[in-house]
Amino acid sequence: MEEFVTACPRNCYSSCSFRVQVENNKIRRILPYSGNLATPEGPCIKGLSSIERTHSPERIIYPLIKTVQGSFQQITINEALDIISYKLNSVREKYGPKSILWYKGSGMSGLTNEIGYSFWRAFGGTTITYGNLCWPAGLEAVRLTLGSVKHNVPWDLKNAKTIIIWGKNPAETNIQEIAFIAGAKENGSKIIVIDPLRTPTADKADILFSPKSGTDAALALAIAWVLIKDDLIDLNFIEKHVKGFNEFRQSLLISPDEAEKITGIPAGNIIELAYIIGKEGPVTILPGYGLQRHLNGGQTIRSILSLSVLTGNIGKPGSGFNYANLQSYIYDNIKEPLSYYPDPEKDLPFRRTISMAKLGRDMFNTNDPELKAAWIERGNPLLQSPDTNSVKKAFSGLEFKVVVEQFMTDTAAIADIILPAKDMFEQSDILGSYWSPYVQFKPKVIQSPGDVMPESEIYFHLAKRLNLNIGTNLIPEPGNENIEEWLDNRIKGYSELNLDDLKEGPVLAPGLQQIAFEDLKFETPSGKIELCSSEAQSIWGVSPLPDYTPHDPGTGDELYPLVFVTPNTGSRIHSQFGNLKIIKETVQEPAVGISPGDAAKRNIYSGHKIRVFNQTGEIISVARISNRIPAGLVVLPNGIWYNEGGGGNYLITGRETDMGYGAAFHDNTVEVERVD
Amino acid sequence: MRKGFIFSHNKCVNCGACSAACILENGWSIQPRMIFTYNSEELPSLPLTNLSLACNHCETPVCLNGCPTASYYREPFTGAVIIDEKKCIGCKYCQWNCPYDAPKFNADKRIIGKCNLCYSGLIEGRLPACTTACPTGALEYGELSEPILENIPSWFPDKNLNPAIVLKGKQNNDPLRIIPENVFESEVPILNAKERGMSGEWSLFAFSFLTTLSVATIISSFINGIFPEKILFVSIIILAGIISLFHLGKRLRAWRALANVKSSPLSREIALFIIYSVVSFFAVFFQLPGFFIASSIVGLILLIVIDSVYIYADKRKSVIMHSGQTFLSALLIVSFFTGIVLPFIFIALIKLAASAYSLSVNKINNINFVIRFVRIALLLVTGVSLVSEISYPDPVISSIFLTGELIDRIIFYIDFAPVNINTEIIKQINIERNEKKRG
Repeated sequence: MEEFVTACPRNCYSSCSFRVQVENNKIRRILPYSGNLATPEGPCIKGLSSIERTHSPERIIYPLIKTVQGSFQQITINEALDIISYKLNSVREKYGPKSILWYKGSGMSGLTNEIGYSFWRAFGGTTITYGNLCWPAGLEAVRLTLGSVKHNVPWDLKNAKTIIIWGKNPAETNIQEIAFIAGAKENGSKIIVIDPLRTPTADKADILFSPKSGTDAALALAIAWVLIKDDLIDLNFIEKHVKGFNEFRQSLLISPDEAEKITGIPAGNIIELAYIIGKEGPVTILPGYGLQRHLNGGQTIRSILSLSVLTGNIGKPGSGFNYANLQSYIYDNIKEPLSYYPDPEKDLPFRRTISMAKLGRDMFNTNDPELKAAWIERGNPLLQSPDTNSVKKAFSGLEFKVVVEQFMTDTAAIADIILPAKDMFEQSDILGSYWSPYVQFKPKVIQSPGDVMPESEIYFHLAKRLNLNIGTNLIPEPGNENIEEWLDNRIKGYSELNLDDLKEGPVLAPGLQQIAFEDLKFETPSGKIELCSSEAQSIWGVSPLPDYTPHDPGTGDELYPLVFVTPNTGSRIHSQFGNLKIIKETVQEPAVGISPGDAAKRNIYSGHKIRVFNQTGEIISVARISNRIPAGLVVLPNGIWYNEGGGGNYLITGRETDMGYGAAFHDNTVEVERVD
Repeated sequence: MRKGFIFSHNKCVNCGACSAACILENGWSIQPRMIFTYNSEELPSLPLTNLSLACNHCETPVCLNGCPTASYYREPFTGAVIIDEKKCIGCKYCQWNCPYDAPKFNADKRIIGKCNLCYSGLIEGRLPACTTACPTGALEYGELSEPILENIPSWFPDKNLNPAIVLKGKQNNDPLRIIPENVFESEVPILNAKERGMSGEWSLFAFSFLTTLSVATIISSFINGIFPEKILFVSIIILAGIISLFHLGKRLRAWRALANVKSSPLSREIALFIIYSVVSFFAVFFQLPGFFIASSIVGLILLIVIDSVYIYADKRKSVIMHSGQTFLSALLIVSFFTGIVLPFIFIALIKLAASAYSLSVNKINNINFVIRFVRIALLLVTGVSLVSEISYPDPVISSIFLTGELIDRIIFYIDFAPVNINTEIIKQINIERNEKKRG
C-alpha cells in the first residue's frame, strides 16, 4: 500500500491536507495529515467520501453523446474529440468565436485550470462570465477598506478574547475552525454567534443574536453608534491608520432604538454587544458569505468591518476580520475580486457580457454575436445559478453544448456531448486556500478509469485537431510528468517554493503574514484603512461610507410572505457530494426547513410533501419543521439536486449585489403549501 | 491501562464524519456508529448536546453474556467485543440488553452487526477509523486516564457495565442564551418514548403464552387427574416452538441458540423448552405419573427462566413483579383449571396489586388505559363467577378468564422497556421540560 500527502481541491475554506493510501489503483483510506496546522485532524465527511466518489459506479467514465431520441450513447474519446473540434470550428467560422460561452464553475481548484485560458485564447477568444456567485461583494468590501483581502492564520483564534461569528456556520462549512473556537471557549474566550438561524455553530456559542435576515448592516452601524458615543473606540489607532473617521461618525444615524425596530434585537442587547466588542478585546470577527449574498451585501460587510476598525482590532494577535485570506493565492496576476471583472482591454480576446448573477437573462441578451454554443466545466449552472427557468431556457436554445462532468447532473443532462471529468486523485496540481495560509501540492495517485481525460489533455488534443499553435509551456503534452514540469515552471518565480518540498507536504505561503496587517500597511489609495472610500462611490455607485439599505425582498410580498434563504450545508459543496451513497446513508436527508408557527398556519407537518413557489418558479419538496428557524424564514440548503427536492434557484431572481457583481441569493420571498 | 473512546461533546457538531468513516473502512451495510443528540428537537429552553456512540466494548458485556448462540467474543489483544456474523441467528436479544444501541440489525443479512473497534487495524497500530476521521478532534481513542463514568449526562444509560468511554468536558446544563428571547418557537408536541409494544414481538408473545398454557395444563392434569387431549396438547407445544422461530433473522441456524447455556438466559430458555416438550410429550401420550411430576417441575422452571430472559434485559421492579409474567399467570391458570378458589383469589390479588403498581410507574396513554381496564374487569368477572361457583369448564367464563390472561401478557410486552439511550434521552427531555414549565 502506497501513501501520499495530498490536499482537497474543493471550493471550501479548509482546503484540508490529508494522507491518502492507495492499493491496486484504488483509494483505500483517507487519513489526517497533522503537518497542516489549520487542518490537523483531517478532512470532513465530504473529503472522506472522496473514496466513494472516485470509484462510484455512477461516475461517468466514457464520453456520451446525445442521440436524436434524447438519450445518451457511449462513444470513444477520439470520436468525441473529433465531433467537438468539428462543431467548435464550424460555429467559430459561422458566428465567430465569441458565439461560444465558456462557463467555468468552482468544482475543482488548481493551477492547471489556467490551461483552459491558453486554449480558448488561441481559439480566438470566447464569451465568458463576470462576477461570481459566491463571495465577491464581501471581497470588494474588504478590499476597499483594507486594501487587500487577508486575515490572521486560523490558529491565532486562541488569542482572541471574544470571537464573533457573524453569519458564518463553520460547523458545516469550515468544520476545522470549530476545533479552534471550542479550544478558545475552553480557555475562557466569549463566543458570540450572530445569525438569523440557530445553526449548529450557534450551539457552541455563549450567546446567539438572531437579527432579521438582511439587516446585519443596521445592527453593525448601531453598535458603531454606541462604540463612538460611549467612547469604546481606539482613538489612537484611528488617528494613525484610518481615513474617514469623522465622515463616518457623522453619518451614523441608527441608534440602538432605531436598530431594534429594524433588526428585532432589543436596544439593550445591542448596547451589551457593543460593550463586549469595545471592552473585551482582542476581538476576532468571523463573517460568513451568506450575509453578503444580499442586495446590500457589500455595504453590510463594510459596516461590520468598521467595528474591527473602530476598536483597533486589526493587525494584532487575536484580532481581525476573517472574511478571506488570499495570502496563498500567490500565482494570480490579478487577485480576486478584481479578477472577476478585469479591464476589458487586458481581457481580450475574451468578451465578458454575462453576469454570473443573471446568467440566463444575459445569455439571451448577448448579441453581436449571439451565443450559439457552450462549454461548461467544473460547474452545474442549471442548479446553482439564480433563476433556473431562464438558465434552462438559455442553454436549451444553443446549438451545441459540451459539459465536462463526473456525474449526471442537471447540467450534464442537457449536454450534447459529456466528456468524463478527472477526479482529484487523477492529476497533479497546486492549490491555494482562502482560509489557511498554505500552498499545497495534490499529486496524481491513481490512473483515471475508462476514457477519463483531464481538461489539460482534452485541450491539448483539441488544439491539435484545430491546428492551434500553442507552445507546451502553455498546454503541456499529455502525461502527468508533463503537468508536473508545467507546474514546476509555473512556480519558478518563488525561491521559497519548489515541487519537491511541496510533495512532502503543505508549505506556508511565501511572504505570509501570520498576523495580517501587522505592518499596518494598507494597499488602499490613501495607504490607510478607508472607512470612507471614494472608490466605493466611483466604481459601484454606493455611498463612500458604509450604510444600511433595507433589503428588497422582491415583488408581491403579500402573496409570498416568507423570506427564502439557501445556505450551504455540511454534507455538500454546492451541488457536489449529495449524490453519494455514503452521504445519503449518514446524513439527514434534505428538506425545506420551516418554523413551527409558519408550518402550523399552513397545516404542514414534518415529512409532508410541499410546494414552494413565487413569481419566479416553483419546486416540490419535503417539509421539516425546525426550531432552528425563526418565523418568517424558509430554508433550503443550496446544491440539493432537483430530483431530491432541491433546486432552490428556481425561486431566486437573478440580481447583483451592490458591489463585486455577486448574486443576491437571499433577497427572495416565497409561499409554501401542502401538496396532498 | 485500559483503552477506549474519549469524547468531547464541546467539539462535536454532528457532522457525521465518524459514522461515514466507520462504513468506509469496514464496508458495512449498517450504521454501527451514530451521533445521538440530546434535544435534537432544538427546544430553546434546553441545552443541546451531541454524543457519538458505537460500541463501548464494556467490561461487563451483556450482549456477549446474554447471546444464546455465543456469537460474541472478546478479542484478546484489543479487548474488542466482536460478533461472529456466521454464528448469529438474528434473535436481537443483544439489542434488548445493550443500553447503548450498539448492536444493529442488518435487515439485508438478517443478523446483527456492530462496531468491531477496527481491531485488525488496531493490532497493526492503526486507530479506529471513526476517531482518525473526526475533523474537530471530538472523538479520540486512547488510554482512559480519567474515572470512566464521571461527568456523564443524566440521560447516559448506566447499567453498571463499565463501558470503555470517557466523556470529557463540563456538561452544559444551561440552554443557549438567545436574543431576542422568544425568536425560536418551542411549541412542539410532547415527545413519547418509542414504545416497544407488540408490533415486533408478536411471535415471542405467542410462544410465551402458549407455553404458559401448556405448563398450566400439565400441572392441572397432575392435580385433578384429568388428562388433556393428546393431539391438541402436542400441537400447542409444536406450534409454540414453530412460532418462536419467526422471531429469528436466520431460522435455519436456530439450533445454535443452545450454544450458550452457561451464561445466556435465552439459551437456557430454549434448552428447557426442548426438555419440557419431550418430558411432557411422554407424560401426555403414555400417561405416566412420574413424567407428569417431572414435566410439571421442568415446566415451572421453564416459566421462571422465560421470565428471567426479560428481567435480564429490564431489571425494573415493575417488570420483575409484572402481573403478566408467565410464572404468576401459570399459577393462576392452574387454580382456575382445578377450581381451587382460595389460591385463585390470593394470586389474583397479587396480580391486581402488580397491575396497579405498573399503572403507577408507566406512562399510560388512552388506548393503553382501556386495555388495562378491560384486563382488570375480566379478572374481576372471573373471580366473582368462581366464588359464586360457576366455574371451569364453563366455556364462557373460561374464555373470559383466558382472554384476560392473554391481555395481561400483551400488557407485559407494552411495559417491557429495557434501558436504551434513545428512550433515556426522551425521558430526560420530558422531565426537564416539565421542570421548566413548573419553574
